Amino acid sequence: MPELPILVVGGGPAGMEAARGIAELGYQAVVVEKQSVLGGTPELAGYAALTPDFADAGEAMKKMAAAIEGDPNVEIRLGSTVTAASGSAGDFEVTIKNRDTADKVRVGAVILATGFQHFDPGRETQQYGYYEFDDVITLVDLEQMLHRKELVRPSNGEVPKRLCFIQCVGSRDRQIGNEYCSKVCCGVAAKQSIEVRQLAPDCRVFVFYIDMRMYGYWENEIYWPSQEEYNVNYVKGIATEVLKKGDGLLVRGEDTTMGRPMEVPMDMVVLSVGMEPSAGTREMAKIFGCAQNKYDFIETTEGALNTVATTADGVFACGAATGPADLEDSISSAAAAAMKAIATVRRAVAAS
Amino acid sequence: MPLDLSGKQYKDVPYEEKERLFEEVKRDFRFDEYLYGCYECGICTAACPSARFYDFSPRKIAQTAARQDVELFYVFMNDSVWDCSQCFSCDRCPRKNSPGGLITLMREVAVKNGLDSAKEAIEGYGRVVFKIMSTGTQVSPDMLQANAFPDWGPHVKDIAENLDVWRRALPPETMHTTESSWQVDSKTITELYLIWHMTGVMDMIKEVDEGLFMILQDVMEEKLEDEGYDVSFD
Repeated sequence: MPELPILVVGGGPAGMEAARGIAELGYQAVVVEKQSVLGGTPELAGYAALTPDFADAGEAMKKMAAAIEGDPNVEIRLGSTVTAASGSAGDFEVTIKNRDTADKVRVGAVILATGFQHFDPGRETQQYGYYEFDDVITLVDLEQMLHRKELVRPSNGEVPKRLCFIQCVGSRDRQIGNEYCSKVCCGVAAKQSIEVRQLAPDCRVFVFYIDMRMYGYWENEIYWPSQEEYNVNYVKGIATEVLKKGDGLLVRGEDTTMGRPMEVPMDMVVLSVGMEPSAGTREMAKIFGCAQNKYDFIETTEGALNTVATTADGVFACGAATGPADLEDSISSAAAAAMKAIATVRRAVAAS
Repeated sequence: MPLDLSGKQYKDVPYEEKERLFEEVKRDFRFDEYLYGCYECGICTAACPSARFYDFSPRKIAQTAARQDVELFYVFMNDSVWDCSQCFSCDRCPRKNSPGGLITLMREVAVKNGLDSAKEAIEGYGRVVFKIMSTGTQVSPDMLQANAFPDWGPHVKDIAENLDVWRRALPPETMHTTESSWQVDSKTITELYLIWHMTGVMDMIKEVDEGLFMILQDVMEEKLEDEGYDVSFD
């Protein structure tokens, strides 16, 4: 059997890193990306700075794309999707479709790097007036404002004097169905709180939270500085509702550590929305026969010792396709997926 | 006198005044190393002996300062800060805060600004302050006699009469000061008076207890004059 290429579905950070690793080790990768550009969600959602080091997100994605563009071992198919798959580990046949044509490609292994989508605060029930009040936005909306270096209230174009984040919107919530922690929103909110204070030094910033999950160096690199250098106020207690009051908003909740109810006026409310499996992740799981967990993320089968194996032999998943992941997680699991996919291809060649 | 139902034990003041007091605490050079950020974890309150007996929480004081809650900070400055025994058990904070140190600063600002709470808190200690400041040394256990501290209650008499028995109940040696506390070198006293004067301690005393200030002033000015210093405490 000839040495077949490895299919990488998704051209975000995980997909790009997987392809880079495959190519660097002298194997062939075919990257299929639905959008017309590489970069995935950081690029498409207009992220400004990465957590926790404030590196320019756009530049980071460009650097990752440049590492595979023009590499003879990487074929990049933009504006394309995988619509069907057959075969088994070592020899799959997949149908790749773009706007005009569809063709069948033989691949030895598959890496699903199809990522996540941001939780929609209006998905089931109207939460915190996101679709009702202009000044209630999400982390993603704020990220785009920070990208433009223009922090103003959508309702009137004025710089906010009081802004709060509400954590765990669409995460850790049995009512919503997303029982998991989305892992990155605490760090992103802390990072953004610093950026807000830098852009609008007169704006008081509050973070209403259940737990602040600042694992590893996020603790001392973003959480502590946000409190100690930028005077961001962290209040343990999740807002129950956001109401309109005059020209502004009123946030109701409990200040649990002070043991008192809380009703505080705000100019802007930022909902720290979590992660859900993207449409691509759901579709690819079906096409490749990978079991999904109860939240529809692709299930990995071997726990902590193998973060990329799925229930379909020869099909690996990495990045946020398997569950909430930050950039570091995604890059690491992409490399692991590349290694295991290469091993699958090598075994197929050796067996023939 | 009209019935006051506010429940407040202290005088309310305009927001700007509360802010001024808060800023005065923050301006102290020690503030930055006494307060970083607060996890609101409660380790300080759990370690605090006063918190076991009073409605007192060093955690709430630290978090109030960290949150820059000017209103609540004023409440604590008038009330809770006087429940602290300044033992610094709270210094075990994982963020390396010192709630006790913060309370020191709050007390100092309360005293310097003559807050009623400061006057009230210090009221019962006038003679102790007088003893320490005029002699430069501590109050030893045998000085706590009923005739010297009549307003401290009947137990002062009981304790004074059986001092040895009471003191044997305390694990550390506490009677060793009964000899040393009565005598202080003249040069030491002179230097201490100059320190009280130059560092503004006497100004603080004047702010909270005019009577005590006047008695101390007489003693100190006379002593310093004898030693060849021309110092006025006014």
